[in-house]
Amino acid sequence: MRPMIRRVVSIFGQASVVVVTLAMLAPVFYMIMMSFRTSAEIAEEPLAMPQALYLGNYANALENMNYWQGVLNSLGITLTVTVLVALLGSMAAYPLARRTNRFTRGVILIVALGLATPPFVTITPIYVIFRNLGLLDSYPGIVIAFTALNLPLAVFFYTSFISAIPKELEEAARLDNCGDWQVYWYIVRPLLGPATATLSLFVTLMVWNDFTYPLLLLSSPEKFTVMISVYRFVGNLNIQPDMLFPAAVLGSAPLLVLFMIFQRRIVSGVTAGAVK
Amino acid sequence: MPEAWGRVLQPIRIYLFTVPALLVIGAFFVYPILLSVNLSFTNFTGVGVANYIGWANYERFLSRSRYLNSVGVTIKFTFLVVVFQTLIGLVFAALLHRMPAIRNFCRAVLFTPAMMSFVIVGYVWQFIYAPYTGGLNAFLSAIGLESLARGWLGDPSTALFAIAATHVWMFVGYTTAIFLVGFANIPSDIEEAGRLDGASSWQRFRYLELPLLAPSFTVNIILSTVGTLKTFELPFIMTRGGPDRATNTLSLEIVNNLFGSYKFGFASALSIVMLLIVVAVAIVQNIYLKRREDNQ
Repeated sequence: MRPMIRRVVSIFGQASVVVVTLAMLAPVFYMIMMSFRTSAEIAEEPLAMPQALYLGNYANALENMNYWQGVLNSLGITLTVTVLVALLGSMAAYPLARRTNRFTRGVILIVALGLATPPFVTITPIYVIFRNLGLLDSYPGIVIAFTALNLPLAVFFYTSFISAIPKELEEAARLDNCGDWQVYWYIVRPLLGPATATLSLFVTLMVWNDFTYPLLLLSSPEKFTVMISVYRFVGNLNIQPDMLFPAAVLGSAPLLVLFMIFQRRIVSGVTAGAVK
Repeated sequence: MPEAWGRVLQPIRIYLFTVPALLVIGAFFVYPILLSVNLSFTNFTGVGVANYIGWANYERFLSRSRYLNSVGVTIKFTFLVVVFQTLIGLVFAALLHRMPAIRNFCRAVLFTPAMMSFVIVGYVWQFIYAPYTGGLNAFLSAIGLESLARGWLGDPSTALFAIAATHVWMFVGYTTAIFLVGFANIPSDIEEAGRLDGASSWQRFRYLELPLLAPSFTVNIILSTVGTLKTFELPFIMTRGGPDRATNTLSLEIVNNLFGSYKFGFASALSIVMLLIVVAVAIVQNIYLKRREDNQ
């Protein structure tokens, strides 16, 4: 009888944990439900379910928030930044992973400084520098800003990844008279796929969701990233639920869908990045 | 001649690989910090000449309660978030560690809010907290707790807690995932030994797992502290720093001085203060948490 009781208790316990966990999703569920209701309905019954599949809010949002342009901009910036960060980061990581001396220790210290500096510390001077260089409100400007923000993490990430790769392959190539560049390009770089995949998740998350940099650095609507489009559409005063909720759903949908597909990989990748 | 050059460069050639990354980090981290220090001693307004005014910006920071208050708000907010996020994440991880059947599913569900942006989370929660049309008050009156309903963000005594709860909601899945890695790293023979000795689930948690989780505590506390000290988006969207500056964090103050009143010099001084706070907190935490790890 006792194992039976224990099993019932265990199933009951697991069911309660699942219920509590799902309750954490209530705000996401609320956001989706509200996006199908008119402002008048929400004012009257704040928590009711939508009466019908009313799509008027979405039609209005898609028409007025410049959504697809924002998606394209965010995608383009993400891709460019990923390529730059992966290239510069892995190149710098190669000597850092293979040599230990005063120089590499100094470089690691400088990279750590970049990693530890909160963006708000550098935002004033970066604004001034970008203005002097004519980089405000331009794609190159925002790409450089995001590249700089992600680069320190990339260097650390690749350094620990390359350190774990056996040196034998490289030594064989060196015997065949390959130079440092050839060894990096033909031997090391092709092995970095898994690290680059995880890194590109970080970059995508940061470029898609970051608010401060594009808010301060971009000013013309056709260059906005998705989040800035959402912010400009919803506004800051007298917020209307029939604009807020569809814009919120549209703004988070791409990453939520991506998360549903690559859930395991994203959680373990982001966690591994943190633990290292 | 090129051959001779090649021979000179040969031993250092591999280090040239770091040059592009160093240039970017130098131009966008090291130089800006130096420029920030320089600007912080000026009355620069974004245009025209920057006049050196000595320590006046720092004196202004120290002499007005408004700015010291924003440091206090930032620290209080960080403390609230770090404590609750770590505790709730630990509880979830300890439970899920014992429930392999539902572990991955629950981990993914808890992680979902971290995929959303601060802007959207801020908007949605601002509406949840809204006094008349919001979901939270409607929910409270539906379950008979009408007396608790209030304008969560309009009341200086609850606004900061409300934003902290939103922040914890967003990142508790992150903390849980990191603790789960810590649990997974506990050697299974240790757990097995505890079980054979007849230790209860709670005793195993308290005397075996908790001490061995010290490295996960270090990672979680440092990550959430550094991530929370710079909080800007949630108060910016949800309260604009109000009511009565109850949620006016240091980063909000920096952006307001920068783009609200074009006090570039003063904003730079605030940035340097922020850098000093972050560095000081990080050093103290690192020393304390590492020592705690060694003592376990």
